[in-house]
Amino acid sequence: MRTPDLIDTLANSAAPVRRLRPPVLRAALWLLMAAAVLLLLAVAHGVRPDLSTKLHQQIFVAGMAFALATAILAAIAAFKLSLVDNSRWWALLPAPALALWVSTIGYGCLTDWVSIGPDGVRMGEAIRCFATLLLTSVPLSLAMLIMLRHAAALRPTEVSVVGGLAVAAITSFALSLVHDLDATIMVLVWNLGTAAIIAGLASAFGRQALAWVASRVVPGLFQSPIR
Amino acid sequence: MPESRQPGPHLSLVKADNPLRPGEQVDWSKRMALAQGGDREQYRALLLEIEPYVRSIARRCFKHPADAEDAVQDVLLTVHSVRHTYDPQRSFAPWLAAIENRRVIDRLRSETRKKAREIELTPEHESFSREAFAHETFSQAATNHDGIAERALHEAIGKLPPEQRDAIRMLKLSEMSLKEASRVSGRSIAALKVATHRAVTNLRKLLKGGQAS
Repeated sequence: MRTPDLIDTLANSAAPVRRLRPPVLRAALWLLMAAAVLLLLAVAHGVRPDLSTKLHQQIFVAGMAFALATAILAAIAAFKLSLVDNSRWWALLPAPALALWVSTIGYGCLTDWVSIGPDGVRMGEAIRCFATLLLTSVPLSLAMLIMLRHAAALRPTEVSVVGGLAVAAITSFALSLVHDLDATIMVLVWNLGTAAIIAGLASAFGRQALAWVASRVVPGLFQSPIR
Repeated sequence: MPESRQPGPHLSLVKADNPLRPGEQVDWSKRMALAQGGDREQYRALLLEIEPYVRSIARRCFKHPADAEDAVQDVLLTVHSVRHTYDPQRSFAPWLAAIENRRVIDRLRSETRKKAREIELTPEHESFSREAFAHETFSQAATNHDGIAERALHEAIGKLPPEQRDAIRMLKLSEMSLKEASRVSGRSIAALKVATHRAVTNLRKLLKGGQAS
């Protein structure tokens, strides 16, 4: 197809579109959704039995707070980054919170090293942990993919990595809230491991996933130009 | 930068010969806002106006004019599919430049990947595969050089006993029919067939480095 013909086709097919709401508002919407998922999870599964005790432990509270802060900042960064004329530096917004979160987990691991025992973790708990992980991360990832589908052709990798980080931090927050995993090595594995896996999956498949969602919802975006 | 240009924000992709003037940017922003509301004429005008600008950048990035034109179409399609992400309160040109930047980089990357994976076929490749196919039984002779394979074959034919050599020359190299060969040589068709069969067996041995029997 010649370019003037393409312009004709595009102009003739230009239906009215609804402008995107500001990115911070959209991030807030996603976080609201995350809060709803956490609430449902807490109602369905119940919070960990020793939550009131844990809430007196500074390191636990700090870890939870930093995980939440990472999730909030990463969500804002992902929505900001998805608009192509915003600076790439937005990707660094969650970095300080992420660093603090990782360091609290690492610190806990260092001080509580001796608490790893044969009875530290029960197998059943690990499987329930996995279920929590899926219940939290799958719907939130899908929601984020759909909300950020317009970034597929523009910044797929950056947006999916930062978006994946937001999902990972929320998931980790949910795990700490619901499951009493006190063997610190398990906390480390579950928290950082799931975060790494989710962010890794996002960076490996985010581009394709965004493209897939975009091609279902915005057909025509990925057709190569016709000569 | 031209004297007439007002100071203010400018694009990273745009150099001194930038076809944009500040007034046009404002118009583009208004046109896009109207296009978002469904005004097709404004949208058409906008696309027609940005096309030369998009092309001027694409031409700088792609050597081949067809590649540049593909990139232009890609940028226009992307603008079309993400037009709802444009905020009319922000200027249009950086938005467009960022889209073009991303699409051009993506296309250049995939072009590089394609080049690393694919090899363009030249006549040399073609003659090699034809030669290899024709002489697949003569594995020794099947090299990528026409001359070597051919010379080896001719030398091997030269070493054959006379009746086999004549049979192979008439039937295979001159592509005569059995009847024609029989008339020319005065030998029976059955004798020619036997001679050809023995010649081929011997050629196989010779090309593998053995002796004709």
